[in-house]
Amino acid sequence: MSSDYEISDEENGYYDEDEMEVDFDDESASEIEVDGIGDDFKVAVRRERKVYDVDFTSLSQPEIEKIMQTDVDHISGIFGVEPAVAAQLLRHMDWNKEKLIEKYMDNASSVAVAAGVELPPREPTPPPPKASSSRLSSTGPQRTTRRSTAEHSKSSPKSKRTTPPVEEPKEFVCPICFDDTQTEFMALICEHKFCASCWKEYITSKVRTEAECTITCMAEDCNIVALDPFVQKALGDDKETWERYQELLVRQFVSCIPHLKFCPYPSCTYTVSCPAAATKSSLVTIVPIVTCGASNTHVFCFGCPIDSDHRPVVCAVAKMWLQKCRDDSETANWIKSNTKECSKCQSTIEKNGGCNHMTCKKCKYEFCWVCMGPWSEHGTAWYSCNRYDEKASVDARDAQTRSRASLERYLHYYNRWANHEQSAKLSMELYVKTEKKMEEMQITSELTWIQVQFMKKALDVVFRCRMTLKWTYAMAYYLASGNDKELFEDNQRDLERAVEELSELIEAPIDPETIMTLRQKVTDKTVYVQKRNEIMLEDTAKGYLEGRWKWDVTVEGFESD
Amino acid sequence: MDARLRRVNKEIADCKNDKSSRVTIDLVDDNPFHLIGAFDGPEDTPYEGGRFQVDIVIPDNYPFQPVKMKFITKVYHPNVSSASGAICLDILKDAWSPVLTLKSTLISLQSLLCSPEPRDPQDAEVAKHYMTSKSSFEETARYWTMIYAGGPGKDGAGKPGKDGARDEIAMAGLDRAHVDQFESLGFERSKVVRGPLFIQRGDVGSLRGGQIDVLRRMNYRGANVANINDDRVVEELLK
Repeated sequence: MSSDYEISDEENGYYDEDEMEVDFDDESASEIEVDGIGDDFKVAVRRERKVYDVDFTSLSQPEIEKIMQTDVDHISGIFGVEPAVAAQLLRHMDWNKEKLIEKYMDNASSVAVAAGVELPPREPTPPPPKASSSRLSSTGPQRTTRRSTAEHSKSSPKSKRTTPPVEEPKEFVCPICFDDTQTEFMALICEHKFCASCWKEYITSKVRTEAECTITCMAEDCNIVALDPFVQKALGDDKETWERYQELLVRQFVSCIPHLKFCPYPSCTYTVSCPAAATKSSLVTIVPIVTCGASNTHVFCFGCPIDSDHRPVVCAVAKMWLQKCRDDSETANWIKSNTKECSKCQSTIEKNGGCNHMTCKKCKYEFCWVCMGPWSEHGTAWYSCNRYDEKASVDARDAQTRSRASLERYLHYYNRWANHEQSAKLSMELYVKTEKKMEEMQITSELTWIQVQFMKKALDVVFRCRMTLKWTYAMAYYLASGNDKELFEDNQRDLERAVEELSELIEAPIDPETIMTLRQKVTDKTVYVQKRNEIMLEDTAKGYLEGRWKWDVTVEGFESD
Repeated sequence: MDARLRRVNKEIADCKNDKSSRVTIDLVDDNPFHLIGAFDGPEDTPYEGGRFQVDIVIPDNYPFQPVKMKFITKVYHPNVSSASGAICLDILKDAWSPVLTLKSTLISLQSLLCSPEPRDPQDAEVAKHYMTSKSSFEETARYWTMIYAGGPGKDGAGKPGKDGARDEIAMAGLDRAHVDQFESLGFERSKVVRGPLFIQRGDVGSLRGGQIDVLRRMNYRGANVANINDDRVVEELLK
């Protein structure tokens, strides 16, 4: 954990400038969705961006907490409630400040009750000083409330007969652990009193095992929520759980704000802000691939759950493709060689014995396995199909051919897709070998360390380009044929050829004599490949913006054009 | 002493001291975290007169996580699995509160028997039966109570485990006349050797799904009978 913190501290200082903007950006962008404002501000800080890159900022957990705090202070100021209460009201309303203010102004106490920061009005217990109930210190003065637990549970219909009256010795005994040695008790504003160690265990269990950050009172059917100071006090010296609790709060906040997304990499606590991709409709024109501040290997898509770079394909198409691959790829080959489709309902049928008189299990259609024509026309010529050229059979076989062709078409794209993925994986394995090679080169040639870096660079480029290529096959599969698709495939072909050539160069054995020429060749080729990759990505990105790409299936978001 | 153990011991002791509710909690073996609870079937329900046993497992972070309970005694109820005894009840899941006790939870189970919730069923077939004909459902539930829970019956006997002359038709909540009707078509009633006789002789091999099973599955009861074509039943029986 300590390492996380070191990083975030560092980043803190580093991103100071950004932070100011983010605050500003957050306010303006969340009120009215003006993507432009965000852009204006970040252009100055970020490097010159490509048309296929999207603007984003990486935020550490403390930075997000600062943003949350701003909202909390704002609400706290307007409503005149304690910050902890304001925070819970905001969480309850999914951090929608406008909605909260509107509803709160309309009926403050109903919002407060629903959020669990105020007792419902017809509570049987005599009201505590009401005016300040929401202001009651959340760590609360501990009152003696013998009756409350028993009575409260009795009031709920389901448990009319469920709770045995709590025995009441002179000393108060916690109704959960029955430990009469406990002396420290705590209660929320509902005054349901339990011992401190039960509270601690309860909160720990909620936070740790259920990943729950809204912790309600332990009493049955009581909706009062434990506010942050109470949680902190109850957890006492358990720093780890408190930190986890805070992380959960940040996650809840991030999940409510459309232009924020939590880094999906394991145990990463960074958040990315990407206002340009905050709306669903924006995903038709951009592929928002982002990287978090923790590591530049934390590459993920802001718009969908894919945690890698899926450019140049937009999210909806990428999703369709992955779904298709999950459904089809493993069985597709087998199906192709062993089955036929029912000519009526297209169910896939495997014939595993018996005669050629087939009855589809699904639609009960009877047909001949040999000619695929309807069985009814076979008359008495059972078991010997001599009707191959009859019209009905021809039609049926045509349908069959079409369906086979579509499968073959899919396999064409799928095999290339899978091949690039495999090659990319292999090139990662080559990394280790390359490092050795580079050492070797330093020894056998006059080259310095910095001069042998070209190998590593080339490998990086190959990997990145194979990823691009991989996704271009998913894109090509769905693109409607036409000039645009042909141009797309030309770009794809050029990139593919270049990548393969570079791959071959990297794999070549090293000869001390030719090393200088090799270096020259690899470096040149790397530059060329990079250029081709850029052309590919730029052209597709522009295509999205111009609405140039047409699909031969319905793609979510594209229906309107 | 470990807080969980203290709490469980106290709960068991409290339960022993309180005779009025007739709820008991007993140890299975020496392990205090695996218990058997029992309570009476509530009055004015088909479960009246029966005694129902519940398997209780106390999780590690009890009472902060809900206790695990399922019926040991077979119960014919929409929210209880007729096969496994699994129970569908909110307080055993997200509505659990640490102030609830084993006894209060058992009493909640008792009241669940009073008020079935067929729209959120654990056992869909039983729920269908309940929705189709409440009186027929109750008859079956009463029969199960007699057979499995020692409820009052013609002879007052029928302890769990002793399965002599159990009436399979009543057990499945079916009408004898319906079963006879299909039996006369040549379908075997028995649950052991399943499938129609004439097909067996025809060397097709033994088929599964006795007609009682089939009729039960199809909810061939009460008003629903009119909705089910005889041919469909025969088709199912032939499967």
